[in-house]
Amino acid sequence: MTLFTSKVCIVGDFAVGKTSIAERFVNNHFSESYLTTIGVKIDTKLIEVPDLGVSHKLVIWDIAGSDRFEHTEFAYLRGASGYIYVIDGTRTSTLRSAMSLEEQVTDRFGSAPSVVLLNKSDLAGDWDVNESSVKALHAHFGAVFKTSAKTGDAVERAFEKLARRILDNDMRAE
Amino acid sequence: MMQLPACVVHNLQDEYFSSERLFCFLIDENYALVQIWGDAQRWGLDDIPIGHDMRDAAVFLVGCVIGEPQALRFVRLSRHSVAHVHLIPDGRQSYVVLIDASDEHDPTQAKQQKTNELRLMHARQNRLIGRQRELISELIEIRSELDHHRQEAERSSANKSRFIAMMSHEFRTPLASIINYAQLAQEQDASRNDIQKSVETIERSARHLTSLVEALLDDASLSAGRLELVEEQFDCHNLFEDLARMMAPMAAEKGLSFATFVDSDVPKVIFADEVRFRQILINLLGNAVKFTQEGGVRLKVTYSSDRLVVTVSDTGPGISSEDQEKVFKAFERGSKRSETGAGLGLTITLRLVQLMGGEVSLDSQPDEGCTVSIYIPVNVQADPVAAEAPVLPVPDQDALASRPLSILICDDDDDMIALVEHYLHRSGYGLIATSDSSDAIAKTIKYDPDLVLMDCNVPGIGGVGAAKLLRQQGYEKPIVALTASRLNEEERRAFTRFFRKPAPMQELLVEIKRLTH
Repeated sequence: MTLFTSKVCIVGDFAVGKTSIAERFVNNHFSESYLTTIGVKIDTKLIEVPDLGVSHKLVIWDIAGSDRFEHTEFAYLRGASGYIYVIDGTRTSTLRSAMSLEEQVTDRFGSAPSVVLLNKSDLAGDWDVNESSVKALHAHFGAVFKTSAKTGDAVERAFEKLARRILDNDMRAE
Repeated sequence: MMQLPACVVHNLQDEYFSSERLFCFLIDENYALVQIWGDAQRWGLDDIPIGHDMRDAAVFLVGCVIGEPQALRFVRLSRHSVAHVHLIPDGRQSYVVLIDASDEHDPTQAKQQKTNELRLMHARQNRLIGRQRELISELIEIRSELDHHRQEAERSSANKSRFIAMMSHEFRTPLASIINYAQLAQEQDASRNDIQKSVETIERSARHLTSLVEALLDDASLSAGRLELVEEQFDCHNLFEDLARMMAPMAAEKGLSFATFVDSDVPKVIFADEVRFRQILINLLGNAVKFTQEGGVRLKVTYSSDRLVVTVSDTGPGISSEDQEKVFKAFERGSKRSETGAGLGLTITLRLVQLMGGEVSLDSQPDEGCTVSIYIPVNVQADPVAAEAPVLPVPDQDALASRPLSILICDDDDDMIALVEHYLHRSGYGLIATSDSSDAIAKTIKYDPDLVLMDCNVPGIGGVGAAKLLRQQGYEKPIVALTASRLNEEERRAFTRFFRKPAPMQELLVEIKRLTH
């Protein structure tokens, strides 16, 4: 197996569940309490991609929530191979934040593989993002997952999809 | 840059290094470790051999570009260690400096936590306010609807109360006549003239009661959507002539003129519900004659775009635009209208026209008469012969002469049997009577009467069921319904003819004679 290492940045507005997503993916754990991230928290997880004969090590940068990147945050993003944009499905404003962040990233570093996570799908009763917005996200990103860090629903699939996109992108570049 | 004496710099440097717990390592362009300074164990970077790829141990180096300066604030490297990371290039190598930020991290996080929680609370509040506004508008809408329904209910209740009071009066008046004149006729000293006059009044009052009941039943059936049209071919020119013959004397009695104009384009035979069509026109013409005191009434019929256009105009008092909305509503009348009648005529007319797929228009001004037009789509039949009554086989006159014609009557009302018996005996018929439909079947099979006269709401399987069973058992002679029940089209097909009680006995006898000779 060939080892392949990629830096992945999780970005999005505050309290959308970025840390919980990373915690669910890396440690299969979830905590109900909300604890603001300051700066960046770095974790790693190895994914096996047997059909490509690759062990894919994801270095996951869980970056503090923001609706707009400043100089400090851009330093965190440098050298990232892919991005996970997280939206809180119960707060439409976080969808606008994600779109704005994606625009900033593309302007600064060019386009890179990415996926969108519409998180907190377990709170269906409070859901605020309408279907037409979801369709627009699909059209723009191509990969949108309704996830729940609480239940784990679709979290792993989303990371796997991004990992696959990064590998495809790198293979195309070679 | 300010130059300080070397001893001051060294002193400050020592203090800074000890307070910030600095750690530093040097890597080459391949991220290989060259040298380490400081407490490596604190950062979990001890026991790493020189030349090792540092991206394994210090994963934040993945993606970093050697040779470019970088500053990463608050990098959490483990559960208990947070550092500000600086990459300082030096030729093809880079120094990586870690400054312990744990003490700075916690107050910064506490402050940011509070800010974020407040922002979240604000967002939730805004959402609740938005939802509250939506609920308030929904409540206002619901309240408005409820007010509307309440007003409608109050209006309907008031109308019904008025209607019940009015109906009580409408029913009591003819009932009083019937009772009083029946008593008068039975008095011992009543003259033949008194009896004749009493009977005429009783008949007139009974007819009036019948029309009231019919109107109420029609209105109830139409309201419940239970009324079905019975469509058949008929000669509509004959219908218009009939109506003219019926209405002209009524108009003449009031000194009014009555004119009929039927356009030559109007088809002779149409396919529609003749009974209901006649009812609509009688309602319109009857109203026109009833409310007009001077001048006249005119019936005009034209045909256009597959629709019959029937216009009834009068020179009556007219209807104000305000009243025009009311006159088609049940139990309401225009303010100038007379207080007699159920107030259902125009409601029934409108609903019947709509049931036929047509429309009604009203054109009127106070003191300038009234014109009501109805537009009814009709299916035109090309062959007028088809509209004629079915040709019955000619009975064998010799056979008929050999025995008296017999009729079986099934009715659970003894008075009705007695009445029919009286008329049929007088016309030379033999009568077999029963009050039970199952018995009627048995007697029909046994005695083979020349005609069966059947009530529908009778004990046993009922009149309709009995008629169907008789047909299944091969009885081919006429079965005539004489019933107070309403029958739908399918039920009517079980009978040769259908008479609705109270049917005029003379009409019934004429039909019985036609069917048995």
